[in-house]
Amino acid sequence: MKPKLVPPHRRRGKTIAGDYLLEVRGISKSFGRLSVLKGVDFSLARGNILVIIGPNGAGKSTLLKIISGLALPDTGEIYFAGELISNLAPYRIASRGITQLFQDIQLFLSMSVVENVMVGRHRHATTDFMSSGLSLKKARDDEQRVFEAALEKLALVGLEKAAFAAPASLSWGQQKLVGLARALASGAELLLLDEPYSGLVADEVTKLNQLIRALQSQGITIVIVEHLTDILMGIASQVIVFDHGEKIADGTPAEIQRDRRVIDAYLGGEQPGVREVDDQ
Amino acid sequence: MVLNGIKLLRQMPQKVAQARLQNRLLIILAIVFFTVPLGAGAYPVTIMIDIGFYCVVTMGLIMIMGLGGQISLGHGAFFGCGAYISAVLTTSYGWSPWAALFFAALVTGAIAGLVGRFMFRLHGLILAGVTLALNLVFFYLVTSMVDITGGAIGFMNIPPITIGGIGSQDLLFNYYFIWIMAFLLLIFSLNLTDSRNGRALRALNTYAGGSEDAAQVLGVNVLRYKVWAFVLSAVYASLAGSAYAHYTRIIEPNTFMIQYSAMVALMAIIGGRSSPWGAFLGAGLIIGLRELLRESVPVLVGGLSGAYELIAYGIILALALLFMPQGLVSVVRRAASKRTKINET
Repeated sequence: MKPKLVPPHRRRGKTIAGDYLLEVRGISKSFGRLSVLKGVDFSLARGNILVIIGPNGAGKSTLLKIISGLALPDTGEIYFAGELISNLAPYRIASRGITQLFQDIQLFLSMSVVENVMVGRHRHATTDFMSSGLSLKKARDDEQRVFEAALEKLALVGLEKAAFAAPASLSWGQQKLVGLARALASGAELLLLDEPYSGLVADEVTKLNQLIRALQSQGITIVIVEHLTDILMGIASQVIVFDHGEKIADGTPAEIQRDRRVIDAYLGGEQPGVREVDDQ
Repeated sequence: MVLNGIKLLRQMPQKVAQARLQNRLLIILAIVFFTVPLGAGAYPVTIMIDIGFYCVVTMGLIMIMGLGGQISLGHGAFFGCGAYISAVLTTSYGWSPWAALFFAALVTGAIAGLVGRFMFRLHGLILAGVTLALNLVFFYLVTSMVDITGGAIGFMNIPPITIGGIGSQDLLFNYYFIWIMAFLLLIFSLNLTDSRNGRALRALNTYAGGSEDAAQVLGVNVLRYKVWAFVLSAVYASLAGSAYAHYTRIIEPNTFMIQYSAMVALMAIIGGRSSPWGAFLGAGLIIGLRELLRESVPVLVGGLSGAYELIAYGIILALALLFMPQGLVSVVRRAASKRTKINET
């Protein structure tokens, strides 16, 4: 009998053994005739900071969406802590410990800052509709715990005083920090940050860098998609460079800065003292 | 949170002020609502009962439309489901009206859950169209199942709900019955709005600054929440429908047609979708206006008020969308927050 073919993103319960927290294997994605990602592979070790750089339209943000489940890959598989996740709905992926900070943040504007962060704790509370509506003790205790955890995360990003403000009343940089606090409140092991530095002033960039380092020291693994290579080379453990949907380089920041293909495609032409990684 | 001294509130000054105001408003309204009919005549009490039914259904609609941001133009079907299930069970099978009321809510909730699971994969106007179709399907089902529902003629001799011998013949009993139901559901809705589940619903409400993507990556099962909110809103409508059937003791399919669904949607929009309080304001204003027109049109211009009612609803809807898109409740909220600020200074 002919075996039934199951597309990769529909296979359930598949696991792999390995030391990596995140493994991306052969991910491809097209929108109509436009191929956004072409067979992307990489692995990310636990506790590392991976920076993905590349020009606009290189497929970086699409990759983040595929990892968080907001978009399905055409081909390929993604494993998180050894478990296949590319077949899961976004909320299930979030429950495994992955969350995303969007480029445009997407704060919930009808809620206060602290309520936004409280939504981040959603998966850590279990109160159902009836308990909430009847305001049972279980629901009130849950609410108290979620509130305290949210305040703690706001304090971590230095915004506890703005807890009851409306998100729209904050600066763009502050809103980014609220978004980060909300993502942290989810207790994620892997944070996907889509252009977190865009629109920030110098002080805010420094503060965000410090925060990212602090999160790394707490064992959180981070993927950052960015254009600003200078800032990130200092904090990255691993850098991947994309060009037209293809991974053209993968290595430490030092290796990437010496890579001929990267220099040609992204950093811009000849640089003194640079040699190709392949030549080493 | 309503009517409780949760520790959390003490740490949230704005919430404390808001909860205090809400509690005061609840107590004042409860006193007014429960004492005024004692001295009023039969006509105002009848109107208030009518407002009560609309208020409960609108409150349910606000849970799905205002909180969850999902359009529903078919709530007349759920109101009708409650009414017909209750009527059939009590009249044809001899069930107690109380048991029928709760069973009808259970069945209506289950129907909403089943339909919602498929329906909420759709968005926007297509979703609105499907809910409208749901109302039509209900209407044609009820009119065609003549043996069970009485068809287009309707269903008669429905027994009243009674407590200790007092029953639907008593106008005041019905007044208190529907308004106690409305107040209990208001407290339930307010608690829910300010909880983990209410926040999850508000998070996915794209019409009120929410984002489904952001909610999903934080672990919110978007489809599940939409369906639950829909189930809840259907249960509210069913409870009101059952109470309505046992109050009027005669029901017919036209009552539960699209016009009814449009009326409650209008009440939710004008009253304000962002808070269950909007149901009180919307139902009060629209039914108040309807009665005013029914009284004044025959005297001023002669004839029936039907066409003038529609014109008046249209004007009010246009004015509301132009000058207070968040509904009357937003005006009350702004006034209350001004008052709180003045008190703080």
